Amino acid sequence: MRVLVTGGSASGKSAYAEQLACSLSPRRVYLATMSPHGAEAQERIRRHRSQRADLGFKTIEKSGSSLAPIGGEDADTRRGVVLLEDLGNLVANTLFDKGDMTDDPTLVAGRLEQEVLDLARSFEHVVVVGNEVGCEGASAFAGTRMWVHALGELSCRLATNFDMVVEVSAGVACVVKGGIA
Amino acid sequence: MILVTGGIASGKRTYVRSLGYAESQMSSHVASEAPVLVGLEELLREGEPTEADLRALMSKDVVVCCEVGQGVVPMEGQERVWRERVGRTCTALAQDATRVVRMVCGIPVVIKEER
Repeated sequence: MRVLVTGGSASGKSAYAEQLACSLSPRRVYLATMSPHGAEAQERIRRHRSQRADLGFKTIEKSGSSLAPIGGEDADTRRGVVLLEDLGNLVANTLFDKGDMTDDPTLVAGRLEQEVLDLARSFEHVVVVGNEVGCEGASAFAGTRMWVHALGELSCRLATNFDMVVEVSAGVACVVKGGIA
Repeated sequence: MILVTGGIASGKRTYVRSLGYAESQMSSHVASEAPVLVGLEELLREGEPTEADLRALMSKDVVVCCEVGQGVVPMEGQERVWRERVGRTCTALAQDATRVVRMVCGIPVVIKEER
């Protein structure tokens, strides 16, 4: 089962994604993508860690620009669920940390799509947390516009491939594609 | 008229193409003969739509407008007026539209369908 969970900031998408992952398998890997730079990031990471403290996730920090190499996990783990959080950080890591700036959001979205699909193939279940960031006027900053476009396109591509897409607002989950069989 | 809304890069044009319209049938000018009007939000930077503008929009097959009101209220007054205008215009169009679609990650979520 491959699920994309999207929503705005503090919409409750993480908590929903965690609960969903727990319902899918007792073998859980949490793939964290946030760069641990700055006090706000540290605080957010701390809050998310405590939120999932008792849920039995094995956490893998992956704040670099690539998801690989992951998949070196034992066969038992790979029969479980991986929770990837989140696409916004994944795109930002690629664009900004690595300095992989390009004028082509399609190129970035395409490459990250392949990485996420590779990851999805390595596990029985995957839950990906995305971000709704395109519902406001275009940013005055070229880098931000690029990030919004790449993130939007990556979300569309994953949604096409995945079995289920859920949008969370105010903690309420609205299934926009598929459903739990 | 079908109103298509959603965020930046949410798949709005792709959805319009799936309805059978080619890119050549999409225009960002209200006065154009093209059946599909795209980029309404940018047109509304010019000012309030007139009654004639609204009638012209209603006579289109499809109107595509980016959803712009869900982020932070902008610092700049002009931007605030603009996003308010976009929201009000979409609300007015949606009232008379036969179908309203909101795109989420490339998925058309039908939020109004007249039978």
